[in-house]
Amino acid sequence: MESILSVSHLSKKYEMQNAVQDISFELAGGEVVGLLGPNGAGKSTTMKCIVGLLRKTAGEISIGGYDHLTVEAKRLFSYIPETPYVYDLLTIWEHMQFIAQAYGVKDWKPKALELLELYELEDKQKKLGRDLSKGMRQKLSICCALLPDPQLLFFDEPMIGLDPKAIKNTKNLFKTLKDEGKTILVSTHLIEGVESIADRIMIMKDGQIIGNDSIANLKLQAESGSGLSLEDLFLELTKDE
Amino acid sequence: MNEVRLLLSKDLWIFRNNLLLILRNPLRLIPYGIAGAYFFYMYTQRISGSKEVTSDLNLDAASEVDVAMQNVIGGVTALALFFFLFQLFRATKKNITFFKMADVNLLFTAPVKPENLLLYYMVRTILPSLGGSLLFLAYSGGQLARDFDVDFLGAFFLVVGFALFFFLISPLRFLIYTLHTRFGILEPLRAGVLGVGVVFAALVLLPGFMAPVFYEGMFAWISSPWFDLFPVVGWSRGMMSYFVTGNWLLSLGYLLLYCLTYFAVVKLVIQFSGHYYEDVLESTQSNEDQLEKAKGNKEVTEDAYSLNSKKQLALPEFGVGAKAIYWRNYVQGSRQDFHPLFGLYSIGMAVLGIVLAVLSPFDWFSHKVLYGYLVLLIGFYFMAGIGRANIGDLKKPWFILIPASWSAKYWNMIKLDLIQTVLFAGVLILPAVWIAELNVWLILLFPLGMIFSYLIGLGVNLIPQIGLDEGWDRILIKPLMIGGIILFGLVPTIFFSGLLLGVTGQFVYGLGAGVIGLGLVAALVTHVTMDILKRLEFKEM
Repeated sequence: MESILSVSHLSKKYEMQNAVQDISFELAGGEVVGLLGPNGAGKSTTMKCIVGLLRKTAGEISIGGYDHLTVEAKRLFSYIPETPYVYDLLTIWEHMQFIAQAYGVKDWKPKALELLELYELEDKQKKLGRDLSKGMRQKLSICCALLPDPQLLFFDEPMIGLDPKAIKNTKNLFKTLKDEGKTILVSTHLIEGVESIADRIMIMKDGQIIGNDSIANLKLQAESGSGLSLEDLFLELTKDE
Repeated sequence: MNEVRLLLSKDLWIFRNNLLLILRNPLRLIPYGIAGAYFFYMYTQRISGSKEVTSDLNLDAASEVDVAMQNVIGGVTALALFFFLFQLFRATKKNITFFKMADVNLLFTAPVKPENLLLYYMVRTILPSLGGSLLFLAYSGGQLARDFDVDFLGAFFLVVGFALFFFLISPLRFLIYTLHTRFGILEPLRAGVLGVGVVFAALVLLPGFMAPVFYEGMFAWISSPWFDLFPVVGWSRGMMSYFVTGNWLLSLGYLLLYCLTYFAVVKLVIQFSGHYYEDVLESTQSNEDQLEKAKGNKEVTEDAYSLNSKKQLALPEFGVGAKAIYWRNYVQGSRQDFHPLFGLYSIGMAVLGIVLAVLSPFDWFSHKVLYGYLVLLIGFYFMAGIGRANIGDLKKPWFILIPASWSAKYWNMIKLDLIQTVLFAGVLILPAVWIAELNVWLILLFPLGMIFSYLIGLGVNLIPQIGLDEGWDRILIKPLMIGGIILFGLVPTIFFSGLLLGVTGQFVYGLGAGVIGLGLVAALVTHVTMDILKRLEFKEM
């Protein structure tokens, strides 16, 4: 299958520190990939470089065949950040309207209502951003990302701050999006967050990808070891020397 | 441009929601109403007063130098110039940002052109500048209308001159940082700004030394008309002086210069900024007081200014309870400077004071410069209190959770600052009194003045932050509070201080009256702070 995201020899350096070191990977259309790693492994930096929030020090990134910084590439993806900042003085509904304008979404209202209903925000449409709890901001952030119906979605630690029901909804959403043929890259340090839905897992440590395989293969690898679980394998791979 | 339409509609929604919020809670309008009534009262009082014959001033023809007028013009110009250079210097340390984190999350990843976003936000910064200018005009308009013939054109040039001065600073700062990230020329840029600062210092010192008495000649050059050609500061002065000179062509010329400069700066910013998102990310985050959270682990906002952020420390514990706050500040101070109690800047300022003390016995110099410096430092500590970085302590949950009384927490929060202040004041004033043979009471009065001034500034910062829920209220009430303290606390203090100084001719009496006045205001403000501190609550976002 043709890749929708291609990352080639990506490096990101902060003064003397190598946050991401020469990583390469591809995401095929319709694939759900979990980017796992301990805190400080470089997951968020990788994601921020891909979506253009951070400048890459070296490497090439293309989305749908376009350079990732072009407007054409940005039409293809949405990004759900770890910390869900929203406009304090815009209501939930105005956020949806704003995103619809930014991405040029036609006939957006039914879709917006559907999303707000899914995330139980429909009765809070007139609430201002500043009056929302962190969890509600996260939900709004996800709704905003889904409204343009992007082909590729980047979730940076999406489960943090969500209540159990919203976590379940998000996992179901991943499945729905996958069924619709969307490509998803989920960055997380919680294996159970992606274990059930990811086709493939990439494990990062110290800015490098140290494992990149399908869940089935990784599980096989773990079990053929000494009966380890996927979590044990993850801890084994990412433990300090 | 779709981006402009998009952002304009967003800002209009925000404006409308703001109005709705005010309407939902009309009591919020009371302070603004009082301020409006005050401005109106002052305006009508002044305008109805007798017109002085200052419009007959013929500055060009004056063969004798009006030292008072020269010092007023020069002093204001010097302050504006200092502010301008300081802002440019700050740009070499940290970038300015026009954005909110919501823009980063929702707009930066959207299919919009980065340059159009930047252009919109850069142009939008004219609004606060213009608003401030209109306030300035509303306040001073009555006085000006009474003393001068301020017509519509005069008012226009006043507002525009004032607004453009503040307006141009942000794009210039952004340009400096952009040039640095693009070409890595931080050092030459910093040297350039410092170079202009040195030239500026020379423009004050040289005529001062050349004049029979330093303070009579120090502003001779920068108050002269040719200084109007100095970029930004001079142009604004030249433009605003229309109501004195009546030369609209000249003011229009300065306005054109501003327009050309703005156009050039914007062109350069757009050309060199490239994909600037990363450049503004950190400053946007720190602006929203979320740097620590967003970065995940190590960095703390205050560390951005650290000289020794990686310094290894092995400090003993100072005690339990609220003393932990003092310990944390001590650790912070150790990393910010080479010593937590006495830092590099303190040494610099103390040395300058001692140099002035050494010079003051000479005939061509004057004790007045040293006295002026002491008063300036007291004022500076007021600003330091307002801009207290550790105010972030109050936003940390542990400040509320530590099992100790509010007064103990407050005391430990400011204890290090007070020790630093007393040490600095002592290191400066002791040798200064001895060298310049000043009155020994200054050894007591000067440190007290510094501390009171700091406490007033701190209170002014804390009270609106804790006491007012609405961000907009804080932004707007803070200047009013400062205005109130200045009008009802500092102006009477300065008046009695000046009166005593005038009657006795002794600086120490003037300072004594000033310190007593400051002490009263500080006691009042600290009392309110202590009272309001109990209402502190943790806000996660």
